[in-house]
This record gives sequence, structure tokens and C-alpha cells, in this order.
Amino acid sequence: MKDSCSSVTKLLEKYFDQEVTDKERFLVEGHLQDCLVCRNALRSMEELRTLIKVPVEKAVQKEDFPWVWQKIEREIRSTQEKLTWWQFLRSRLDVSPLFKKKVWIPAVATVAVLLFLTAQIVFEKTPSYTDASVVDYVESQTDNVMVYQLEKPKVTVIWLFEGPEKDQTTS
Amino acid sequence: MVDEETKMISRGQQGDQEAFKEIFDKYNKKVYRIAYGVVRQREEVLDIVQEVFVKLFRSIRNFKGRSHFYAYLYRITMNTAIDHARKSGKQFFASLDAERSFEPHDELGKGPERLLLQKELEEKVKMAMKKLSAEQKAAVIFRDVEGLSYQEMAEAMGCSIGTVMSRLHYGRKKMQELLKEYVGLQKGGSS
Repeated sequence: MKDSCSSVTKLLEKYFDQEVTDKERFLVEGHLQDCLVCRNALRSMEELRTLIKVPVEKAVQKEDFPWVWQKIEREIRSTQEKLTWWQFLRSRLDVSPLFKKKVWIPAVATVAVLLFLTAQIVFEKTPSYTDASVVDYVESQTDNVMVYQLEKPKVTVIWLFEGPEKDQTTS
Repeated sequence: MVDEETKMISRGQQGDQEAFKEIFDKYNKKVYRIAYGVVRQREEVLDIVQEVFVKLFRSIRNFKGRSHFYAYLYRITMNTAIDHARKSGKQFFASLDAERSFEPHDELGKGPERLLLQKELEEKVKMAMKKLSAEQKAAVIFRDVEGLSYQEMAEAMGCSIGTVMSRLHYGRKKMQELLKEYVGLQKGGSS
């Protein structure tokens, strides 16, 4: 008896809520015929439900729902009158399709690619003398010559520096 | 094939007030029952029902049909009712005073002692309900007041059937412990 009680107790609430399978119902109803403890447990559930439910049903039956609707309708009208220009615009223009993933994800991806390409063009490096390659450097007593050759555009730059003897002469 | 309710909701989403009235007519008692199950006081229930339908009016466009409409509405109702219950914090005597303005006509002739006992019982049930967690409260009300199936409850509460059963079991257990001296006094009531 004790074993069948423990297995039926787990099903008792499901049985009370009419959520059992046919097999489970057969098991529970068979057990209830012989078990006062389980029958009392079931009755307690029923009484608790009555305590909770009956006052609610009475209140619903007495309520004046047309009057409740009038209050709600008034509230909705005053809500509509208070709409800000932005809310008015939103209520008129259905912008919700723009927020769908299949719309904004490709849009963001397109903008990102465009920005990437634009940045490549905008920030493309202009050649500077530091990127030039030194072709030749010649030192002499009077003058020093440095020759730079740039790739783009193709330009050859020749720098003349005064040599050490000339510096002494001028100073 | 689009059913009548889907058409009604679609019209409501387009701002058709007549459709919204139809939604109210269909669901007003269900919303009222859930709200009453939580707060168990008429004035608060009316505030909750009004707030729920105004919220629904504002947010019905957000309903995409991924769940059943009743699950969407019940979720709004339960959350609104529980928020109200948290904020109200009314005392026992204050709530009895509020009840006096609403005399149940069919109780006339049943004797003042019976009325007093019923009011006391109501307050005890209300206090017991307050001791439940929000999830347990929702489970007990959805099942024992509104009569939803486990599947419908799972959808309304956004959880599995196993979780529903667990919350219901512990909610009822707590209510029974808190109301053990009163269980058995309601004779002739039926679900």
C-alpha cells in the first residue's frame, strides 16, 4: 500500500488538474478506492481551489463591464490626444520594416564596406622624400652631393651640401 | 486560412477602435479574473483592467503572432497585477473599508456572521497569496482561477511544462499551509 501511495502521490496533482493519460487515470482511480489519505489530499486541493476561485467568479458576475469599457475608451482617447509629434509620425509611418534583421544587417554591412573603400582612397599615402630611395651620395672637400630618385612621380632630386672647407671659409 | 481572431487582431493593430472593442468584449472577464485573483479588491482590479487594455492598445502593433494572443495578453495582465500588488501594500483594515462600498446583493439574508467570516476568509486568502513568489502566484491563478491547461500556462509564463508543474505544486503547498485552518469551511462551493 505504501509503495503504491508514493507512486500515486506524484500523479495526484496531475489527476486533479485532468492532465493525466488514460493509463495514469486508471492507476490513480484504482488507488483512490482504497486509500483515505490520498482521497483527503485530493479533497484538500478541491477545497483550496474553491477558496481561491469562488470569490473571483462572484466578483466577475457582478461587474459592470460596459462601464469599464467606457473608462478605458476615455483613457485611450486622452492618450491619443497627448501623442507627441514623434509618436504621431511613428503611428502614421510604419517604420518597423526597417528594423527587421534582413533589412538592417545588409544595410550596416553595405555602409561598412563603403566606408572601408572610401577610407582607402581618402587616406592613401602621398609620397614623401623619406620614401624616396637614395641613389648616390658623393662627398668632397668642397661640396657634397646626394641624389634621390622618387618612384612616383618619376623625379630625380639632387641635393648639394657645402663641404667642410667652404663652411670654415664662410664662418 | 485566417481565423476570426487573427482578423480582429490585425484590424486592432491598424487602429480600428471597433476591433479593439471586440477584443475587450472577448477578453474582459479573463483579464478581470486574473487581476482579481492577485489583488482581490475591486477598486484595484478596475485600475489593473484599465491599465492592461490601455497598454494593449499602445503595444498591440508589437504582437507578431509568434505566440497565441491569449498568452501575450495574460502575460501583460499578470505582470501588471503583480506590480500593482507590490506597490499597493494596503493594510487589512483599509481593504475591509474598501469592500464595504461593494455590497454583494446575493448575500442579503445570509446573516452578518456569515458575511464577516467570508470577508475574513477573503483577507486570509489575499494575505496568503501575497506570500507566494510572483511565479507561484501566476501558476496558481492561471490554473485554479482561469483554468488554463499546463501547455497554455507554459506559453503564458514563457517556461516549460515541468517548471509550470513545479511552481504550481509549491504554490499550492504554501497556500494550503497558510490556510489549513480555513480549508473545509467552504461548503457547497465548486470549481
